[in-house]
Amino acid sequence: MAKVLLVDDAAFMRMRCAKLLQEEGHEVIEAANGREAVDVYLAQKPDAVLMDITMPEMDGLEALREIRARDAGAKVAMLTAMGQQSIVIEAIKSGAKDFVVKPFERERVLAAVAKLVG
Amino acid sequence: MQVELINVFIKAAMDVLRSETGEEPSAGSIKVLSSAQTSEEVTVMIGVTGDVRGMVLLGMSERTAKGIVSRMMGEPCPLFDELAQSGIAEMGNVITGLATQGLEQAGYGAVISPPALVAGGPGIIISTVNIRRFVVPLHCGVGDLVLHAALELAPATSQHGHSNGRAVVAPGVFGI
Ligand SMILES: [Mg+2]
Repeated sequence: MAKVLLVDDAAFMRMRCAKLLQEEGHEVIEAANGREAVDVYLAQKPDAVLMDITMPEMDGLEALREIRARDAGAKVAMLTAMGQQSIVIEAIKSGAKDFVVKPFERERVLAAVAKLVG
Repeated sequence: MQVELINVFIKAAMDVLRSETGEEPSAGSIKVLSSAQTSEEVTVMIGVTGDVRGMVLLGMSERTAKGIVSRMMGEPCPLFDELAQSGIAEMGNVITGLATQGLEQAGYGAVISPPALVAGGPGIIISTVNIRRFVVPLHCGVGDLVLHAALELAPATSQHGHSNGRAVVAPGVFGI
């Protein structure tokens, strides 16, 4: 069981992911854009982060870099509709540990969290 | 804009509808429009920038939107409230995001804006002004949708600009 920060601008997606993570016994905290994600991360130090990319205010790749700059041990997986290879490579180079493309399967999301906290 | 690139969007829409609703969708024939178009009751709008640029619209009735959200949640969706609107907008985001993978495979880099949702139609004009619009009806067990792709290739300069190496979210002019 882990404390997971779920970052997505779509409230529906946060609700859906939170439900499946909570069913597995994880504690879920949320942020609706990259800027908020950085603030919530620093304030709450979650064990793992699931990060969307396409978001207003600050996108997920920038938030990933900011979080990793402040905490080199931050464990972040991208969870996004943007599955282009160039973006996967950019995310991995920026420190993402995993990359899950939407539409996602429940097991794939749980596996990503298990990998982050394992 | 070649029809092959429009097919990338049709395939993405079919893949996402199949995965989210559990129904096998089908696509009708492609029409080309250049005029302003009255919207359906609900329209998701997503901006595309990069080597391919313009806008993708996904229109449907409110009943279809609620039917899709209900399948996505695995429970009834009696009201088209903020959460349901977020769900249908996100489906548009996932379709367009998936299409950008197909565009990348065809050699075109593109990024998308966060989705915006227009409800309260029909009767609202959503014009894509000077970009030709490809319109494709999509049929699905939960209802019918219309995919509009008003897209064009960017001038050659940006094709040499490696926009596909950059993952910057398009300016939030359409943001919600
Ligand atoms: Mg998003």
